[in-house]
Amino acid sequence: MKINRTNTAGRILALLLTALMVLSLAACGTKGGDKMDGMSSEPKNAEEAVAMHKELMAQENAILSEDTALWEKVFMAADKGMTMQEDGKNYGEFLLDTIEGSKDQFTEDELKLLKEAAEKIREIENKLTMIEKKYPEAAQQSTDGAMSVPAGSDMTTPPDDGSMQKFPAFEGKDLDGNTVKSDELFSANAVTVVNFWFTTCNPCVGELSELDALNKELSEKGGSLIGVNTFTLDGDETAISEAKDVLAKKGATYQNVYFDSDGEAGKFTTNIFAYPTTYVVDRSGNIVGEPIVGAITEKKQAETLQKLIDQALAADMG
Amino acid sequence: MSCGKKAAAQIVLLMAGAAMLCFGVWRGEAATVLSKAIKLCLECVGIG
Amino acid sequence: MGKKFSGVSQTMSRFRGWIQAGATLLTNLHLPNFLKGGLYQGAGKTVCVPGLNCYSCPAASGACPIGAFQAVVGSSKFSFSYYITGFLILLGVLLGRFICGFLCPFGWFQELLHKIPTKKLSTKRLKPLTYLKYAVLLVMVFLLPAFLVNDVGMGDPFFCKYLCPQGVLEGAIPLSLANSGIRAALGKLFTWKFSILLSVIALSVLFYRPFCKWLCPLGAFYALFNRVSLFQMKVDKNKCVSCGKCARACKMDVDVTKTPNHTECIRCGMCIRACPTNAVCFRYGFGDGKDKAKAAETLQTNNNNKEE
Repeated sequence: MKINRTNTAGRILALLLTALMVLSLAACGTKGGDKMDGMSSEPKNAEEAVAMHKELMAQENAILSEDTALWEKVFMAADKGMTMQEDGKNYGEFLLDTIEGSKDQFTEDELKLLKEAAEKIREIENKLTMIEKKYPEAAQQSTDGAMSVPAGSDMTTPPDDGSMQKFPAFEGKDLDGNTVKSDELFSANAVTVVNFWFTTCNPCVGELSELDALNKELSEKGGSLIGVNTFTLDGDETAISEAKDVLAKKGATYQNVYFDSDGEAGKFTTNIFAYPTTYVVDRSGNIVGEPIVGAITEKKQAETLQKLIDQALAADMG
Repeated sequence: MSCGKKAAAQIVLLMAGAAMLCFGVWRGEAATVLSKAIKLCLECVGIG
Repeated sequence: MGKKFSGVSQTMSRFRGWIQAGATLLTNLHLPNFLKGGLYQGAGKTVCVPGLNCYSCPAASGACPIGAFQAVVGSSKFSFSYYITGFLILLGVLLGRFICGFLCPFGWFQELLHKIPTKKLSTKRLKPLTYLKYAVLLVMVFLLPAFLVNDVGMGDPFFCKYLCPQGVLEGAIPLSLANSGIRAALGKLFTWKFSILLSVIALSVLFYRPFCKWLCPLGAFYALFNRVSLFQMKVDKNKCVSCGKCARACKMDVDVTKTPNHTECIRCGMCIRACPTNAVCFRYGFGDGKDKAKAAETLQTNNNNKEE
């Protein structure tokens, strides 16, 4: 069977490219790994967000420093009765309004210049707000200049609702039948670690004793750890007794809760497909950082978990 | 293997296979398969 | 009747690549999941696919038979899976290693790699290695998950966890590309399995289907049924001129004229296409078909005699 040259070359090229992609992934764990590039106006992870934020701020400052004399006039005019920038109102729009309100102070050309600049600022502000919504840490960091970068955004979690993502509220029971309400639970603890597992998952069951130790450690600091066995959702009796069995065998005494699978929390749980998954939740019910996927008995994951816990505890004291 | 013996063996195995399959489903094994297949136990596939 | 069947056999072997592609697609229907970084979680995963296809593949439409077997056997409730074994016996008798040759995605993958033009090495002298896969089947897929259990009575899926390269190719890599949480979870185990995948890839370029020959437990199981499967290789002794072209064409090191239903034969049909007299063909049916062939022969010889 004769294979002609171009066919071969094409095949080799395709294979090399695939190999390259695969190797680059294995070599460095922080590679972006995104399939959707090309939308340069949207940062794809926190690192990019910080960089973009800085750049945009610099652009805005550059515009404002170009015609300082003119801008000063604008700012003076703004003081006269103009409402200061309201929450959510774009700074660029605020500038435009101010310019409108004081247009008799400027010549035609100056007005044109200012309006163009203000519009640019409005666009920049829109982008900045978007970045700040997705990566609140990015806004902080670009202003402080801090170099620590949080973990990249997880595409499988539901999108943000503006601020930090809230852990979905639930009202359920623990395995002994006591009612558990999420708001009460979270507000009673400085930090709550929520571990998702299921009865036939080997690594999940393997880390149960470690989780119990962590629970005891956390309770000394005013926190706690709870487990959610996804088999027990909707109160499946057999699953509950099996789960209790396994927990007893591993010496895990911490609370395990279940709730309905069609509620907010239930749907959130069904979206989780990789186990075990651990979330760190602060006192107000917000999820701190990214979920930790995989057993926390692994050194790397244990460190990440500890970092998130410390972060939540520190924020709670502040 | 002569023709007749072979055909007999084939039929027997087919029936045995079918029987085992049904028995396994009745035992609840199919439910175990489903529950393991839709939740990714990471270590089980060699991640981590 | 012989010729017509030979025609079907020829066509099937010629289009085998397309059939393999189609089977891979059917086995992995849920393609959008690759971008989402999620899994198909529907009821289709109660059923196993015939080839080696990891259930952790985002697009997988069904469960992997080897993975499912270990899952059942490794659970604290059961130590043997009748469901999966019964299913595999049925497939073994109905199709045998035809599945390996036509329906397995990982087999196709190895063949595509083998098309890369390099020096090719023969596996004829490495025949003893073909017994290794039975050991993998017995020990890693059955014994260890069933008996090496933790304090709760659960066993690890040893083949999936430590050996299977298909899981890395279809599951670990796509998922970690699309999901940063999983990416953060990659550790030593992934490094080990990734190196296995790379080795299999390298070997597949040099040898023909090394994983199928030496390591695949699924192939090992189906191989046990090659002799009793309904899908057979048939050599018409009257047409065969013992030229040996079929044995030379066979990349699984099988001589179809001597052992048509050898455990290593994956029914790929290369011998069918190599044969100058159309003596080799596929046959589907119970028994051996020897009596029927003899009857057809006698009829033909009688006709020839009549014509003369």
